[in-house]
Amino acid sequence: MNLMKTFKNGLLNENPVFVQLLGMCPTLAVTTSATDGMAMGLATTTVLLASNLVISLFRKVIPDKIRIPSFIVIIATFVTLIGMFMHAYAMSLYKSLGLFIPLIVVNCLILGRAESFASKNKPVGSIVDGLGMGFGFTIALTVLGIVREILGAGSIFGIQLLGESFKPAIIMILPPGAFLALGLLIGLLNYVNKLRKNKADNQEANKSVA
Amino acid sequence: MREIIKLGLILLLITSISAVVLGLTNDITKGEIAEAEALVSEEARMAVLPDASKFEEEDTDEITQIVKDNENILEVYRGLSDNEEVVGYAIKTASPGYGGNVEVITGLSIDGKITGMNVVSHQETPGLGANATTSDFQSQFKEKPADNEIVVTKSTPQNDSEIQSLTGATITSDAVVKGVNMARELYNNNLK
Amino acid sequence: MELLTIAISAMLVNNFILSKFLGICPFLGVSKKVETATGMTMAVAFVMTLASIMTYFIQVAVLEPLGLEFLQTIAFILIIASLVQFVEMFIKKASPTLYEALGVYLPLITTNCAVLGLTLLNIQEKFNLLETIVHGVFAAIGFGLAIILFAGIRERLALADVPESLEGFPIALITAGLMSIAFLGFAGLV
Repeated sequence: MNLMKTFKNGLLNENPVFVQLLGMCPTLAVTTSATDGMAMGLATTTVLLASNLVISLFRKVIPDKIRIPSFIVIIATFVTLIGMFMHAYAMSLYKSLGLFIPLIVVNCLILGRAESFASKNKPVGSIVDGLGMGFGFTIALTVLGIVREILGAGSIFGIQLLGESFKPAIIMILPPGAFLALGLLIGLLNYVNKLRKNKADNQEANKSVA
Repeated sequence: MREIIKLGLILLLITSISAVVLGLTNDITKGEIAEAEALVSEEARMAVLPDASKFEEEDTDEITQIVKDNENILEVYRGLSDNEEVVGYAIKTASPGYGGNVEVITGLSIDGKITGMNVVSHQETPGLGANATTSDFQSQFKEKPADNEIVVTKSTPQNDSEIQSLTGATITSDAVVKGVNMARELYNNNLK
Repeated sequence: MELLTIAISAMLVNNFILSKFLGICPFLGVSKKVETATGMTMAVAFVMTLASIMTYFIQVAVLEPLGLEFLQTIAFILIIASLVQFVEMFIKKASPTLYEALGVYLPLITTNCAVLGLTLLNIQEKFNLLETIVHGVFAAIGFGLAIILFAGIRERLALADVPESLEGFPIALITAGLMSIAFLGFAGLV
């Protein structure tokens, strides 16, 4: 199996946020700043990696009929672990991410990967898949966080970018801003894809004419 | 029937392993978490009562009873100087805000002044109510006399008992001021 | 907090979907038709209310007395997963058509952040049993309100002339954004 392909899959073709539209709740809720978005992405990636690995290791042992509850218990364990470590060693992040840390357990991305990949593939592949999807998720959240933070607070990763006279569009860090930013970002990506496809089609057409 | 029992047992096994792992980690991280939380609280107290070099929980019967009975008064600490003299108090209160309770620590000195205020926990709206944690807003409370009730006003404060509300966040401002007033009254009635 | 305040806050001011971002997956996934949206809402409302009550008891009678609060996430999600199993079996028997219509979205109620989020919030806000029930019921009503309104709009949108790049999810998200702005108007209520 082509590991590189698996990895890139999660980043681009099947990007959890922009293509599959999974894990919407944290995507919209936690991206009020680039730092929070990235932190949530990394926390989710860690859980995804751990659960993919464990589920893949035990995939032949877990009975099919109770696989979903088993996956849930395994995922919930890692989520609780990461919550504890963040509480102990990364207090301010823990407070910013708040309720959404335990909610990682219901991020459909993690259960989805467990069901469609980790339970059917070897550990090495599952780790790579976890990394790809996780990074794809993290990048999406960070980008969304950057957009909302710049427009809504005039800063990026907490560093003030634009001067005093810039009046931020506060709505961007309020709930509506999340929906609007994500909707427009996906629309933009669709447009870019459309352009690329048109270009490819034109090239094909030119080839057959020539 | 046997299959269901077997499946149930396997699930129970998986859950038990997870419970054990979590229990162990909980024991390991418990100390760190408590320390980290205590540090945050201590820093907040230092910020509102800078003259104090250390804090002790106010444990007189009267105060302990008040904290127990009143669900809005969370903690009362006395601040001590280097030579063990009481220089003031740091009182933590909770008042309902927009998205939940707003927890405020108010510092009061023994000469009847508010020495500072810090919003330590809230679920207010980012960009609006969340600005309650900015030093611009919080420094308004410094040096205010503790005798009179603090009032929120939308325009420029006219006297020592008024503070300016946050833009577009009246509820949050009210909640914060309510917390400060609770601390003030506790100080005036029981600690002076 | 007074019961009425909790109710209005959960339903409108801090609407679970448009303000707290809990329950977005079904919001985007099941809102193409008003009929499915309504059916989904009822199933979710049922699970949300029951889950609130059950998790309250587990927290108060088991987790807290035994000092096992760190098992909260696991315990709650297992309760929710079991509840959804039962609801699924019940709907299958009671209304096979609804069961067909909801399809794969029914088991997905388990991963609905609104349900787990609600149960965690109940504990966080330190609600008593009555407050928990009120919170659960009105959060569910607010959830349903948002989804059904949204489905109504999307049914119309399907017939409108939307730029190709924005078709599908982008325009749905932008619409949700506008709805969210509208709901911001409730801010002064409580």
